[in-house]
Amino acid sequence: MAKDNKNVQIFMPPNNLRAKLGGGGYIDSDIVSRAEMAMAELQTEFPDWLAEDIQALNTAQAAFSAGRNTDTAGVLFRAAHDLRGQATTFGFPLIARIAASLAKLMEGLAKVEVALKDVPLPLIGAHIDAILVIHRQNIRDISNLTALTLTEELEGRVLKTLARAGL
Amino acid sequence: MNGIRFDKLRVLIVDDNPHMRRLVVAIMQAFGVHDYFESHNAEHAWSHLRETNPDIIILDWQMPGMTGIEFARLVRTSPRAPNCFVPIIMLTGHTHIEQVRQARDVGINEFLAKPVSVKAILSRLINVIEHPRPFIRCATYFGPCRRRKAVAAYKGMDRRCSELTSVD
Repeated sequence: MAKDNKNVQIFMPPNNLRAKLGGGGYIDSDIVSRAEMAMAELQTEFPDWLAEDIQALNTAQAAFSAGRNTDTAGVLFRAAHDLRGQATTFGFPLIARIAASLAKLMEGLAKVEVALKDVPLPLIGAHIDAILVIHRQNIRDISNLTALTLTEELEGRVLKTLARAGL
Repeated sequence: MNGIRFDKLRVLIVDDNPHMRRLVVAIMQAFGVHDYFESHNAEHAWSHLRETNPDIIILDWQMPGMTGIEFARLVRTSPRAPNCFVPIIMLTGHTHIEQVRQARDVGINEFLAKPVSVKAILSRLINVIEHPRPFIRCATYFGPCRRRKAVAAYKGMDRRCSELTSVD
């Protein structure tokens, strides 16, 4: 058993995993290329997945606009957060940035408990519109000047909004 | 020489987003993992944890209902948890240092920020398989040791070295 010292125990659990999987640290050299190939094969589905995730965000925004409560705010935050995490994988890094900006806005306002009626709907809508446009125009290039300017403008406005709210 | 037998690995993937689950499953399958379970939320994962009995959990943070953080806390500290030592890899869109600390403080073994990459997932898997950390139990924490770095330049006493024991 582990020793007890000043109410702190430190112990090494049995490494059943290493015993079960063996390998001695050696990795099959093909494993990375096999997995990258599997990801590449999935890429044909990425446009549909991205479209579904954007649609989910759009639906979440509509629900939040129709009835502002913590549930609809949470759904909107999670939809933006999901898109933030995945849009780069799907080949749209600027959509990921804009979604991150929207998630930051929703998370920040929830943190300082801004009244839901005071959450700026036009700023949320501007994020969604920008995502829709970038997706529709298939802008995958992170240095596209118009899209980048729009992204930076939205990020700036979110920072100002959060600063005004005390963050 | 045979490599790590990923075909013997049993993985639980907990993520509310079906696309992310699909992506992780595809990567796991390419690694050779056949034995995997998917949960679309943490409540489902928790209620089936005993029967799925995973070797490793890949966990999202933001989910409706119970969050990944709450789930990890349950796995580590609930008397109903079937295996409080099970390695947990958190796969999340959160990237801030405060959030990494929060995940670390509930006993997450590895933190992996989205977007996902094959190499990043593989390195986290290898870490939990090949380089498990000792566990710490104190009044405020139970989980893998949060001090990860072996500082080569450290010349002081290894005060806890003699206390390191195995749990049978």
